[in-house]
Amino acid sequence: MKFEWFVASRYLLSRRKQSFISIISVISILGVGLGVAIVIIVIAVLDGVEHGLRDRFLANEAHVVLRLIDHSFFSGYQEKIDNISQVEGVVAASPVVYSQMGVFQLGQKSLTDAIYIKGIDLEQEDKVTGFSQYVSGSVEFQTSPLIEVAERREAETISGGIVLGYRLANQLGLSEGDVLRLVVKLEDNPMSVGSPTLFVDFANFVVIGVYESELAIYDSRIGYIDISTAQKLYENFGKVNVILVRLEDSEMAPALSPIIEEAAGFSEVIEIPMTTTWLETHSALFAALKMERIATIIIEALIILVAAFNIISTLIMTVMEKTRDIGTLRTIGASRGNIMRIFMLQGSVIGMIGTIAGSALGLYICWLLSTNIIRPSHWYVLLVCVILSICQIVITYRNIDIVGMTRSIFVLIGSIILILSANILVIASLLMFRDSVDLLVSFADRLLSSVANVLPFVLPFWLLTILTVVISIVSLSLFIFWIFMMIRSWFKLSAKWKIAFFSSWMIAIVFGLFCLVEPISLLELGFSEIYQMNQLPIKVNWYFVCLINLFSFEICWLATIYPAWQASKLKPIEALQYE
Amino acid sequence: METLIRIDNLHKSFYDGDSELKVLKGVNLEVSKSEILAIMGASGVGKSTLLHIIGTLDRPSKGSIFYESQDITMFNENELTQFRNDAIGFVFQFHQMLPEFTAIENVVMSRLIKNNKRSRSVDTKSSGSNEIYETAEKLLDSVGLSDRLNHYPSQLSGGERQRVAIARAMMNNPKVILADEPTGNIDDKTSDAVLDVLWDVNERLHQTFIIVTHDTRISERAKRTVQLIDGKIAE
Repeated sequence: MKFEWFVASRYLLSRRKQSFISIISVISILGVGLGVAIVIIVIAVLDGVEHGLRDRFLANEAHVVLRLIDHSFFSGYQEKIDNISQVEGVVAASPVVYSQMGVFQLGQKSLTDAIYIKGIDLEQEDKVTGFSQYVSGSVEFQTSPLIEVAERREAETISGGIVLGYRLANQLGLSEGDVLRLVVKLEDNPMSVGSPTLFVDFANFVVIGVYESELAIYDSRIGYIDISTAQKLYENFGKVNVILVRLEDSEMAPALSPIIEEAAGFSEVIEIPMTTTWLETHSALFAALKMERIATIIIEALIILVAAFNIISTLIMTVMEKTRDIGTLRTIGASRGNIMRIFMLQGSVIGMIGTIAGSALGLYICWLLSTNIIRPSHWYVLLVCVILSICQIVITYRNIDIVGMTRSIFVLIGSIILILSANILVIASLLMFRDSVDLLVSFADRLLSSVANVLPFVLPFWLLTILTVVISIVSLSLFIFWIFMMIRSWFKLSAKWKIAFFSSWMIAIVFGLFCLVEPISLLELGFSEIYQMNQLPIKVNWYFVCLINLFSFEICWLATIYPAWQASKLKPIEALQYE
Repeated sequence: METLIRIDNLHKSFYDGDSELKVLKGVNLEVSKSEILAIMGASGVGKSTLLHIIGTLDRPSKGSIFYESQDITMFNENELTQFRNDAIGFVFQFHQMLPEFTAIENVVMSRLIKNNKRSRSVDTKSSGSNEIYETAEKLLDSVGLSDRLNHYPSQLSGGERQRVAIARAMMNNPKVILADEPTGNIDDKTSDAVLDVLWDVNERLHQTFIIVTHDTRISERAKRTVQLIDGKIAE
């Protein structure tokens, strides 16, 4: 393969005057690279969301819930818990009295809400769900001083303290020390004659703490009270209706639940046990996520396919441009296989570099999206790019073309001025519709916005709008022109400088991304309630990264076959006479 | 003199749809070792076609070509490619150098192809990279281009490119070098220099040449000249 490498590598790096082909290979590499990078990032976000949700769910969720099939209370639960704890793979188990109750607020006549109430044994519950660590305030259900204070203030009997999810507390407008009334029982009055009447029982509770798990379904629906209080309310002393179990490995839940049912030791004749795992509880959600992921992977695969088409067209163009060369090579004894391998190598190298660079970029952005460090102002990026561009232009044209040099620097400075003014105008336009543009933090931002603040008073609205649009478009096109100018001048450099500037630009890009890419705050965007987390979570799945690398390389390799075959079947004479 | 190439009753026709265009109508020719044979003829008479067929770039419609009693018309595609690489050197009217490669790289190319094939078979005796470049340097030196080794084709004059082409043709020690209007694209003075190189190579290395040309100066200098008239050879 030595000879094929020799030719293919030279074609890739072609230093001819029309460096057209090489720019095309650069663009092809970019195409593949960006495709792979986007796939990796999107999948990392999706995985992150899934795992984030799972972690959230599992942090304060029992892995296995054990109850009777008719949801009735059962006794001897402490013994059953001891038995369950003996099972291998079980960390802890805790008893719960689980029920739904209506809420009255003091001073109101009607039912406000219905909430779930968990009567828990604090010590055991902490081992299973880590309850205490999510509570701000007190968890002393019986002994909190707030109980006494409230009793005196409201002149009512207080059954004990209650800890509410913070969203629930907000909904009800309650904070620590407030009292709420729970409807404990609402059942037919057996004494009633004629039209049925209801038998109602109340109990008063003092809010002693607020529970925040960041998981909306818990924070908005559940209140916690002491287990003994709950038992008293239902007159079910020494009985509970649910046992929660935590496992060492959450994935073992389906396998372990039958063993746990057995270990609990119910007399199966009248008490039929039933277990629910966390997977079942949230199956709809995780199925939806999985579905979403599969759909995304298919779409993303198409992105890489498009990039592969790019390679096909690059190679076809190369083959056309190199037709005479192919003829020459054939006359000096290169076989069809040689020619085919030359072009396949060229395409494969594009694919390989693109794939590897894209993976690096994607993984880097994933890292940036998941790392909370204070970043330097984005204006440094512009500064670095400008300095580097001027250096490159000066070094490229220093001996050969002073006019070209001044012209390029002029274009560069012009585009920077236009970019800055476009920035000012955009801010000014924003100010027309908003009172303040609050994302401005750095000194340069403040400077720009102070100029922008004046503009709406100086210019009429229509002029400002037109200026904004025109200058934005012009500065954008100049920016693109700037990039192409840099690529063109780079090809004119000697090999030594090429390496120097290539690595400098790579470092600049790494730095630029570091400044610009930050973790995405869902809180700011207002999505935190939907996704139940505050920051867009990222999780890189290495297995998938390897898979997408292989896939991308495979596709790129396949893309090379047709153009290379086309090149190899050219007849030497026809190729030689090709104009 | 020992015969190197013998052409027997060679025919070549081109087809355009149904119409047949007969270009070569029974060419008979013998070429001796280390001679310079000039093939003259009017434009369009089929000189280049004949040269391409001799050079295995095209196949005849009928007839045989023997290289030292080996009939190359019986070869398959791969054998032809290999034969072209080993036994034939080409010099064209337009230099046909690869523009991305320097003079010396253009010269070593055919040897790289040769070694590439050998290295895949059992033969491990292929010469190393340095050795190849040394040979190429000597060849370029012998055509008077020792100071142009690392120049790209775009940096060379027409005559220089043609001399690089000669050096390249000689790289694999071919049995014969086929030249198609080697002076067709350069001025008289430069042509003389190029022809001097050709004759010098012929004298020193006894290299066989077949030159297709219009140029009467070549036919004057050539040891033997034949005319191709109406698809047949006339001495």
